[in-house]
Amino acid sequence: MSEWWDYGLADFLLFSPRVYYRLFETLNSVWWIAVIAAFVAGLVAAGMAMRHGHRGNRVILVLLALIWAWCGYGFVWQYYQPINWAVAYILPGFAVEALLLLIFAARPLPLRFGWRGDLTSYVGAGIMIVALVVYPFVGLIEGRDWIQAELFGSAADPTALGTLGFVLMARGTWRWLLLPVPLVWCGFASATLWVMDQQVAYVMLAAVWLTIFSGWLDLKNGVTTRRLTEAELAHPPAASD
Amino acid sequence: MSEIDRRNFIKLAGAAGVLASFGAVVPGAAQAAMSSKVPDIIRKPIPSTGEEIPAIGLGSWITFNVGNDMELRDQCADVVSAFFNAGGRMIDSSPMYGSAQEVIGYCLDKLGAHDRVFSTDKVWTSGDGAGQIDETAARWNTKNFDLLQVHNLVGINENLPLLFRMKDEGKLRYVGITTSHGRRTEDVIALMKNERLDFVQVTYNPVDRKVEEYLLPLAYDRGIAVIVNRPFRGGSLTQSLEGEPLPEFAAELKVDSWAQLILKYLIAHPAVTCPIPATTNPAHAAENMRAATGQLPDDKMREQIAAVIGLLV
Repeated sequence: MSEWWDYGLADFLLFSPRVYYRLFETLNSVWWIAVIAAFVAGLVAAGMAMRHGHRGNRVILVLLALIWAWCGYGFVWQYYQPINWAVAYILPGFAVEALLLLIFAARPLPLRFGWRGDLTSYVGAGIMIVALVVYPFVGLIEGRDWIQAELFGSAADPTALGTLGFVLMARGTWRWLLLPVPLVWCGFASATLWVMDQQVAYVMLAAVWLTIFSGWLDLKNGVTTRRLTEAELAHPPAASD
Repeated sequence: MSEIDRRNFIKLAGAAGVLASFGAVVPGAAQAAMSSKVPDIIRKPIPSTGEEIPAIGLGSWITFNVGNDMELRDQCADVVSAFFNAGGRMIDSSPMYGSAQEVIGYCLDKLGAHDRVFSTDKVWTSGDGAGQIDETAARWNTKNFDLLQVHNLVGINENLPLLFRMKDEGKLRYVGITTSHGRRTEDVIALMKNERLDFVQVTYNPVDRKVEEYLLPLAYDRGIAVIVNRPFRGGSLTQSLEGEPLPEFAAELKVDSWAQLILKYLIAHPAVTCPIPATTNPAHAAENMRAATGQLPDDKMREQIAAVIGLLV
């Protein structure tokens, strides 16, 4: 008899684009201070992550942890989950991601962010720019009102997208642990947007594959497996890895 | 035309004649008051009891899943209000439809219309069916449903006996099963043959006609009422017909839109009890209900409708 595998992707589109994009309108209107604060925090973190040899790694990680916790509670749980029961299965991932980011921040040798000049850095920076700078304007381009803008830090899609960029800009053996949750979300979001016939679905999907490819390149080149030393932390090299 | 159709046609034609004769002398305000009353719409019997229900219902897939957005919830209430005012009764939902059940409950509360609805929902779980039904009832803010169906046959071996038990205990009036997109047709047919079902819900429209071959005749023979889901293919059918002129023969049916033509096509089938189109527009809800008034197409015209629509989409 019929069970869950009997369904197609379109069967799980539970809401209309109109209802979906009004979620951001409500979020941005009701929680505007938190939305702006989270977006600014994201910009600060991105600015720090793009610089080479800075010492704000823990700050970046803590800001991202706060952003994931807020995004999970503020948007996903409060607004998105009521119209999409499937989200309830991914929602704990937001808490896990926030916790992982805090654990990385608390480690004696936290992840180190910075521009390395390799392909992974370019991909990471590109994804961050798309998530923070381009994504808020996607709605305007598609004819939606500015109040429905999806901002990094509060809206889940650009937040997950941008986090992929942050991780690609980071160094540290275990940094890949930060990828599964945003990758799963980006895949989920891409499928949802695709069923809703939204072109931005391809952006999310491209980011997923670029991240996986860049991660594979790093693994191949040994960037991932080599541990950072205390000396490297104290005196970051000028050249790229 | 079938016996039912002839009877309704004669009854409605008579009513139309009376109203037309009034129209010449009744002032505009009085006419408006009359039109706001529940019109004389086509009703179809539920074969297992003979109870008649209006031949058009209201679906809630996607359209009523608006979450906590109060503005959209009130728009849904406007849709339900227009639906009831036009003579509708059956509203269908499912635990699968996100917040739709809760929104329906909100609408019924706001309109004070719990006694006007023919409440139709589903059980959709491989786990605790009874628990899910309790949750569904809480969301509707109701105690008992008129009809509960096993959604897409999920957990059928547990959920169907549960529904029959509820019916035997007087907690439920009708039991049904649903399928969509032509899924698991063989299983549906087996259940229709072997179980004492009151309702079966299937996908049917002038483009998706596979159920005409066997399933609808079987329902007719077995005395099972048929609810039709996706009458407009989730809206894509009416969208693709938008801007196309209605065929000339449609004038005989006095339809205003492709949506009405499609609904008349469906309810003219003798096995069909109630299509459940979904909408976010109160005007469309009323327009859909008007398909359950006046003349219905005969078999020849139904074929013409299917042929024309098949050519255009």
